[in-house]
Amino acid sequence: MTSVTTKQYTDDVSLLMVLVDTNPLFWSSTTTSFSFSKFLSQLLSFLNSILLLNQLNQVVVIASGFNSCDYVYDSSLGPTNQRVETLLQKLEEFVSKDEELNRDDSVDGIGSSLLSGALSMALCYIQRVFRSGSLHPQPRILCLHGSQDGPGQYVAIMNSIFSAQRSMVPIDSCVIGSQHSTFLQQASYITGGVYLRPQHLDGLFQYLTTVFATDLHSRNFLQLPKASGVDFRASCFCHKKTIELGYICSVCLSIFCQHHKKCSTCGSAFGKPQTSDSTTNQKRKAPDT
Amino acid sequence: MPQVRIIAKNFMDMVASLPAIKLDKLYENAFICEAILRSLPPLAKKYVLQLLYIDVPVTANSLQEWVLADGASKHRVAVDRLIQLRVFTETVDRKKEATYRLNPMFQMNLREHIVHGGVLPREPMAANITVRLPSLEELDNYAAQQWECFLLHLINSAEAEVTTKSISASMMKVFQRGLLSQRDREGSRLTESGFQFLLMDTNAQLWYIIREYISNSEDRGVDSADLISFLLELSFHVTGEAYNINTLDDVQRTTVKDLADLGLIKLQQGRKDSWFIPTKLATNLSISLSDASSRKQGYVVVETNFRLYAYSTSKLHCEILKLFSRVEYQLPNLIVGSITKENLYKAFANGITADQIISFLQQNAHPRVAERVPSVPENVTDQIRLWESDLNRVEMTPAHFLDDFPSRDVFEAACDFAREYSSLLWEDSKKMRLIVKTEIYAHMKEFLNNQK
Repeated sequence: MTSVTTKQYTDDVSLLMVLVDTNPLFWSSTTTSFSFSKFLSQLLSFLNSILLLNQLNQVVVIASGFNSCDYVYDSSLGPTNQRVETLLQKLEEFVSKDEELNRDDSVDGIGSSLLSGALSMALCYIQRVFRSGSLHPQPRILCLHGSQDGPGQYVAIMNSIFSAQRSMVPIDSCVIGSQHSTFLQQASYITGGVYLRPQHLDGLFQYLTTVFATDLHSRNFLQLPKASGVDFRASCFCHKKTIELGYICSVCLSIFCQHHKKCSTCGSAFGKPQTSDSTTNQKRKAPDT
Repeated sequence: MPQVRIIAKNFMDMVASLPAIKLDKLYENAFICEAILRSLPPLAKKYVLQLLYIDVPVTANSLQEWVLADGASKHRVAVDRLIQLRVFTETVDRKKEATYRLNPMFQMNLREHIVHGGVLPREPMAANITVRLPSLEELDNYAAQQWECFLLHLINSAEAEVTTKSISASMMKVFQRGLLSQRDREGSRLTESGFQFLLMDTNAQLWYIIREYISNSEDRGVDSADLISFLLELSFHVTGEAYNINTLDDVQRTTVKDLADLGLIKLQQGRKDSWFIPTKLATNLSISLSDASSRKQGYVVVETNFRLYAYSTSKLHCEILKLFSRVEYQLPNLIVGSITKENLYKAFANGITADQIISFLQQNAHPRVAERVPSVPENVTDQIRLWESDLNRVEMTPAHFLDDFPSRDVFEAACDFAREYSSLLWEDSKKMRLIVKTEIYAHMKEFLNNQK
């Protein structure tokens, strides 16, 4: 007989939100032979293999560009036989639209893409799935990110990370750039995802299938790469600089690099700063290495 | 506990039990590779994906290194399954080290799939040729209705004769085998397994029937491997799309007709062509049993006072409820009954167990009560179990009674002899009497003769 407590969905049905970095500034700067088209072909194979694993698996791709981000592909819509075509077409539309939007007030300087926006979109999508009923696949987010972190997005990204943590959605990150990403290290650390920066980008597909294709259920039994050290440094709210030492509002925990009369986030008035030898109202946030 | 023996628990167990040559031939079909991959345990899926682009054999150790200590048993299960399905071939080299590699055919098909994406087994027909396709809802209703009809027919051939159109009598015999006991005088009667069959969920029932259908295929001159591959292929068709029947060969066409009777497929006839539309039942075929995403909505509410309310219009539901409860009255959309001792005793006598009844009530709980824990009141479930154990208070064992032993020594020896075979049920050493199980009686007699 079938067991009494038949689960609604088996453990390994997953909803994979893939955030793809389409920042042209990053892709043009890659010195290695790893081009965007190579990346895409490996990514598409990976998406196909995820969808192959279980007929209930669902993949959603969100492109995070320089000026905007948007859903590029959703496997729950449309037929199965023209996946690649639809995805590529949407991606092309997205890139050209992204190019048209010219971001004038670029706070971060050049080179970072809208990770915060893409993360929020992914979380919104997941929330919608959660609310659609008791039957839903296990969601997770995979960030394929290459461009450098934009400190201006610090608050938004941290908020997304905590909301992901709250809704038990792990954020996996695969960094394809040359430098480690502090944001993604923290995101994966806090939400219990996997952080990995592949050494050989030509074998990206193998990295993706061995590490990131693992469903949440199987992760309990497997040894996946562990973060060797996470950079916990925060960005200040006033100048968006990454700081090691700073001031923190005792009411709303906003971080500032210099003393202010009043908190710019919650409006509470601060007292006078104490002399620099006292460290009572200074919060030390040291990198944990 | 007597059970409907689900020897192969799902499609893939059946595939796994095929001989190696047939299995290798099956892997030539890309859809089968896909279905097999999907049926694997999660860890096994991961291994396949990991090894997909590795052409050299991989040592067992390097695979094991990925697994934490807790997962060792899961790892074992996954690898065993892969070897059983011949997806992995295991070779042990001179250093006694096991290496695995993927079945090349399987590997090639999956690589193809990953690069090119999924393809459909056949193109659906253009919308302008087909007249009017049923909506998904209509199709689901059709499938449910057809299946219900079939079940009614199965349990109650005489009554359902009018309603069902055309399930061929010989096919019906195949399905009824094991579920009904044929008695000439009083007509057919449900067997124990038949009762249990009715309490299973649709997926399990469907699988049972399909398994009978497949295992019977050789008698009809159809190769079971061909049939399996067609059924699996069928599950990759899109629900609700029309497919031209001319794309099928003769064997498949007869199969399609049989499946239409079961509600797996809807056949439609146009002016020139005819086509088949797979229903949800067909596309769910390759999904394993535990996966109840196709589950129907429940309809039963059980109250603490043993009253039972079933919001259903179905005659079949009423029949099923009658198996273990007294139906008191029936309104157009509601069946009201109560679970009584007498009815449960009747059910137990028919070979249904308390656990099966309880699991049926839980699985079919009305959405309003399904959210509650427990969905069936505890006092009711406890009482059902108690009534069942009431029946088992007296255990009967056929036995023989021995007395009039010539001496105490012979008596003691006989007792020891019986004890040795753990067949001594009772002894009275004062009056030198003992009772032994029947199966040992012949040996006992021999033993006593030798003693004299």
